[in-house]
Amino acid sequence: MAEKEDENNLIGFDPLAWMNDESLATGGSTKNTETDSKNDVDNKQGLKVESNTFEDNITEEVLDVNIDSETVADPNNQQNEDIIDDSKITLDATLNIQNVAALYERLVNQLENQNQIEIDASAVVSIDTATLQLLIVLKQTAIKLHKEVIIDFPSDRFIEAAELLGLSEMLEVDQAAAGFF
Amino acid sequence: MAERVVAIINQKGGVGKTTTSTNLTHALAKSGKKVTVIDLDPQGHLAVSFGVINPNMSGIDEVMLGNTEIVQNLIPVRDNLQLIIAGPRLQEIEQLTEGGAKRGDLLRKALHENLDDQDFVFIDCPPSSGVLVANALFAADEILIPMASDFLALQGLSHMMGTIKRFETVLKKNYKLSLVMSRYASTRRISKDVLNTILQHFPEQVLTTVIRETALLAECPSFGKTILEYRPGSRSARDFRSLATDFLEHKVM
Repeated sequence: MAEKEDENNLIGFDPLAWMNDESLATGGSTKNTETDSKNDVDNKQGLKVESNTFEDNITEEVLDVNIDSETVADPNNQQNEDIIDDSKITLDATLNIQNVAALYERLVNQLENQNQIEIDASAVVSIDTATLQLLIVLKQTAIKLHKEVIIDFPSDRFIEAAELLGLSEMLEVDQAAAGFF
Repeated sequence: MAERVVAIINQKGGVGKTTTSTNLTHALAKSGKKVTVIDLDPQGHLAVSFGVINPNMSGIDEVMLGNTEIVQNLIPVRDNLQLIIAGPRLQEIEQLTEGGAKRGDLLRKALHENLDDQDFVFIDCPPSSGVLVANALFAADEILIPMASDFLALQGLSHMMGTIKRFETVLKKNYKLSLVMSRYASTRRISKDVLNTILQHFPEQVLTTVIRETALLAECPSFGKTILEYRPGSRSARDFRSLATDFLEHKVM
């Protein structure tokens, strides 16, 4: 519980207590200390490497709306539904009934092993009703299991398709800044 | 890009973001650092605080909309310190619904390969959680969170940290995070309790100098002056000079 034990403390409830829960506090902002110089160096090195990854990969591939769908949809291409880490899945550019079974299997496996799944939908240029239905079921299943499925950076086409089928609210991509928060 | 890009951010309003942006950047500039500060709040209060009042002048709005280059919008406001104002169309960007993830990357792209001669670029963020804040988080390597010393500010910080951690995961980056206690009311016991709670969760990330709440800090924006000009000998001016040193030398509690 986040309640404070000290009766004299004027903070009755600590809203930041969740940060002590390792399973929720993923990401981890860099804590720069003068006393832990090794970690400091490691963090800075990590920052540099990850920054390059971001610039080289995300900017050019994920954020580029002129993405070559044939290249991305190539089943031999490692970018397809690439699992960046245990809790994050990047959706393919083209999502249809032909690959929904494989996607279903992957998502269900992730949901079994993680408390939270983040699905990057920024590269989606085409999505059919079967895949949207799968995502709805996944979100509903997650709720029952007290887990969370988040759709990050939904592309315009993703939002458009979800709105067309009246699913944008259920998929939580209906806000103006959907995907950012 | 500048050596360090710092977003001054807190989704809660009234915690001292613009006061910190104005006075910390001026204190850094006076110490010899080359500083550019961007007003990313459509309210445009940062510009007013520096004495720049022209509601029709374009700024970071037109840069982010791709209509002009960032270097064309630099306004020298003090020695070593240049300002990019918000501009009247910034609110349009906050309400952008098209463009997918690209709409979050407008500022980072605008800064890319620009302002190389600057030691710092600071981004004064709006008290919101929309596209503009997303742009700041895409662009920045560092985050400075001004914190008021009340319970609701603590609640806001919790929300803010959730946002930051999601960005760290999605963008695969680790922000260098610092907090500054601003608007600190030392006569209230809850102020100390809030500070202690923050220190429990952010050890060695809270800058040593506390910015005490004073009437002078509320007065100086109306004269278009920073506290270092309005009352250079005041304790508030001393607080900000000291905060600048903390920031440069990473002096933390």
